[in-house]
Amino acid sequence: MPPAEPRGGGTSALSVSEVAVRFGGVSALNDVTLTVEPGTVTGLIGPNGAGKTTLFNVISGLQVPDRGSVHLFDTEVTSMKPHRRARLGLARTFQRLEIFGTLSASENVQVGLESTVKWWEWRHLQRVVPWKRRAAAGAGAGDGVGTAGPDRVPALRPGSLAASTCDRLLEGVGLAGLGGEQSANMSTGLARMVELARALAIGPKLLLLDEPGSGLDEAESKALGELLAKLAAGGMAVLLVEHDMELVMRICDPIYVLDFGDIIAAGTPDSIRKDPMVQAAYLGEAEPEANPAPEVDFSRPMTFGPEVEGLDR
Amino acid sequence: MLGAGYAIAATGLVVTYTTSGVFNFAQGAVGMVAAFCYWELVSAHNVPVLLSLLIILVLGASVSGALVERVLMRRLHGASSERPVMVTLGLMVILTGVATLVWSPTTERQVNNMVSGQFRLAGINIQYQEVLIIGVALAVAIALRALFYSTRTGYALRAVVDDPELLAMSGVSPNRMSQYGWILGFMMAALAGVLLAPTQTTGISIEAMTLLVVNGYAAAIVGRLKNIPVTFVAAIAIGLAENYVINYILPHVPQNLVPDITYALPMAFLFIALVTLPSVRLRAVGRLTTMRAPRVAGGRESLVAGAGFFVVAIVVALVFNGTEVKGTTFLDLAGLVMTLGIAGLSLVLLTGYSGQVSLCQFSFMGIGAFVMGKIAGGGSVLGLLAALGVCAGAGALIALPTIRLRDLYLALATFAFADAVATGFFPDSHIYGSGGVSIGRIDIFGIDFAGDIAEFLLVTALFVLAALLVLAIRRSLFGRRLVALNDSPAAYATVGLNIGFTKVAVFAIAAGMAGLAGALYGTVQGVVGTTDFDIFPGIVFVLFITIWSIRTVSGAFLAAVTYVVLNQLWPNGVGLFAGVGIILIGRAAGGLLGIGALQFRLPWVRRPAGVDEMVGSPVGMAAMNGETRAAG
Repeated sequence: MPPAEPRGGGTSALSVSEVAVRFGGVSALNDVTLTVEPGTVTGLIGPNGAGKTTLFNVISGLQVPDRGSVHLFDTEVTSMKPHRRARLGLARTFQRLEIFGTLSASENVQVGLESTVKWWEWRHLQRVVPWKRRAAAGAGAGDGVGTAGPDRVPALRPGSLAASTCDRLLEGVGLAGLGGEQSANMSTGLARMVELARALAIGPKLLLLDEPGSGLDEAESKALGELLAKLAAGGMAVLLVEHDMELVMRICDPIYVLDFGDIIAAGTPDSIRKDPMVQAAYLGEAEPEANPAPEVDFSRPMTFGPEVEGLDR
Repeated sequence: MLGAGYAIAATGLVVTYTTSGVFNFAQGAVGMVAAFCYWELVSAHNVPVLLSLLIILVLGASVSGALVERVLMRRLHGASSERPVMVTLGLMVILTGVATLVWSPTTERQVNNMVSGQFRLAGINIQYQEVLIIGVALAVAIALRALFYSTRTGYALRAVVDDPELLAMSGVSPNRMSQYGWILGFMMAALAGVLLAPTQTTGISIEAMTLLVVNGYAAAIVGRLKNIPVTFVAAIAIGLAENYVINYILPHVPQNLVPDITYALPMAFLFIALVTLPSVRLRAVGRLTTMRAPRVAGGRESLVAGAGFFVVAIVVALVFNGTEVKGTTFLDLAGLVMTLGIAGLSLVLLTGYSGQVSLCQFSFMGIGAFVMGKIAGGGSVLGLLAALGVCAGAGALIALPTIRLRDLYLALATFAFADAVATGFFPDSHIYGSGGVSIGRIDIFGIDFAGDIAEFLLVTALFVLAALLVLAIRRSLFGRRLVALNDSPAAYATVGLNIGFTKVAVFAIAAGMAGLAGALYGTVQGVVGTTDFDIFPGIVFVLFITIWSIRTVSGAFLAAVTYVVLNQLWPNGVGLFAGVGIILIGRAAGGLLGIGALQFRLPWVRRPAGVDEMVGSPVGMAAMNGETRAAG
């Protein structure tokens, strides 16, 4: 299935070209090609074990592909370290939560906000001395770090630029007022939002989201959809892996369908709904061409349960 | 022949690791105990060789392996990843401690070959004992290969670390499989100990036998802790290389360097193995910290507490000036507590915050003290700074080859480094030799701290400053990054932060702090020597701080108190205390100080809802296994 062509001929945020990954004898990704354009929410769907998380790992640098190439904004990154890709403007969340559990929600975001700060520079080093802190606090993200209550490990000095950015991010993902909570003690749904806020904190141009909707209730999921649409409207490129088909069909365009490591379909939500290969993959039809199946009803949320661990590894 | 012995020991390590995800640091100690039991039975009580082997391997090793798994290791499910390392180290110091009590180190014990005689082949004399060892090693390797790849139990054994839950679903008990792994590991350790004992031409010693297996570490690492045939071949190669160096290279080097090189060999092999190992891929393991974060004192609170601590120290200095405890000045002992406290603080930073394990902080102390003694007459500030700088540099060099790898490899590298420094470097006549190095009391810009009170208050002030610094680092951007790195390396990298740089930086800072602590230790003690910075005391100290709490400043201080007090009261029993203590603490991440009733805070500081204790959950276990998978 050919990939969607870049719209307007501009630079793609992400272009994955003929990427293949094998784990022992198992082929996890088979010549996968896709592009993600700025200003769109691109969907990536497929049954469990299809290779979605492996593809995310290839894009973000946790997995080097056996074949193929990955470009971020025209820069070849196929074997680049994850942190250098992040500095190019790539952020991601994880299907199985990867939060900094010891830290509070706002500290999680703070680590993202400060990710470009070089702590070994003198102006940051001197802030370690308590009485220097106020003097050194100035402009820029990461500045204005002070101590809050005795039981709150470091917090942002109220009123500073970093503090307001942090608050704004937490508020944006629906965590207003929860910044002081230790993130390990939060529910899965809330912790997912901490991860999302932390990803947004590095100011990404391309955002990879691995099932952000799981663990969210209907209202939260709706709010998530609105947030993603808003981010895309602001020019961000979003690649979304999600099992909540209603959400995907509503906000994603284009949508890619991955099955057993192959892209079996790509296109608009309407074309995906009608695609015989997709129907076969989801409904188990063996010969879609000989026996056209009715449209897949994506309006009701389809959940597939937790992915079996190990298949994506 | 050496290689064949290493091969058995190393494959034992790999078997335990593949089936339980735990690297058994006590492997050498198990072999050591087996060798002493063998000597006791065969040489002292004339029990027939075969019967002795039966008793040691089949009864002793297998039963104790099964017990260790059941009583010590199974409880650790859900613990933080450094805890199994600590518990196996605890087992090691218990075994060496008990052995010291049972088999007095002053007696010479020569273990004879099991089979005597020799034959000539192609002009070389070959002893039957050598043939026996090689034959046994080959038989063990073939039997293991058959077990792992041709039997149902073997498949289950290999599967248990990959996915215990999945294994359980197929009707096999993961715990049972881990237990088999420990039994096999212990039996192979014992076999290696018994077979290698006759190679100790000057008789078997507790320390040498326990550390003999360090050579096996390099082999196990070449086999990436999971590949038995590769481990086996690597062990043989290392044994041959060692023989080659001893027989063909050492005769050509100056005589005084021979012991240094001999002792540094395992370390050299290990580092070559580490450098050649391919990078480990970062993995998202879905790790969730289930522990409540320990409270970190705010800036003002820590300043007040630090000042209070110093005032108490002044009172103590005035009251106890001139008091002696067993021939040592009380204030000198208290000064040692402060300097060890600084070394402990370096571990809070390194292990407590960033989750990396170092077993060589005492080695850095020793290097720091040596540098202090040699620079500018032994009592200058210049010496302190040089100690800090040299150790920070050495620390960076040790951390560098392991940053691409998992944290366990750093623990292994630091263990090997501590071993090499304690057995090869410090005893050299140019370093400490047998006499030690004198270090004078500090003179800061003409102010002499020669008096006991002045010296004690100086090191106390430096301890307080170090504690304030560590807390300030924890509250800073760098501290947040250390904790974040510990919680989730995958997330750390994907927000744009450089894992390798952070790891090397914190290791170098901690090494520098330990070096400074060593230099100060020297100024308090006056003369320091090899025994001050031996590998076992270093490990015992790490255990004490883990027992009290490796994530808090108070933990570092109390560990130093415990260490100094027990060394005064019962030097031979310190290891036993540490080993039993860490086993009792088990997986409780907050240590003793995590127990609510023992938590200290200034009266006006609000008590939060929870205490820092582990909320036991299988998630930590999953994280541990996730890390294990990363070996692939």
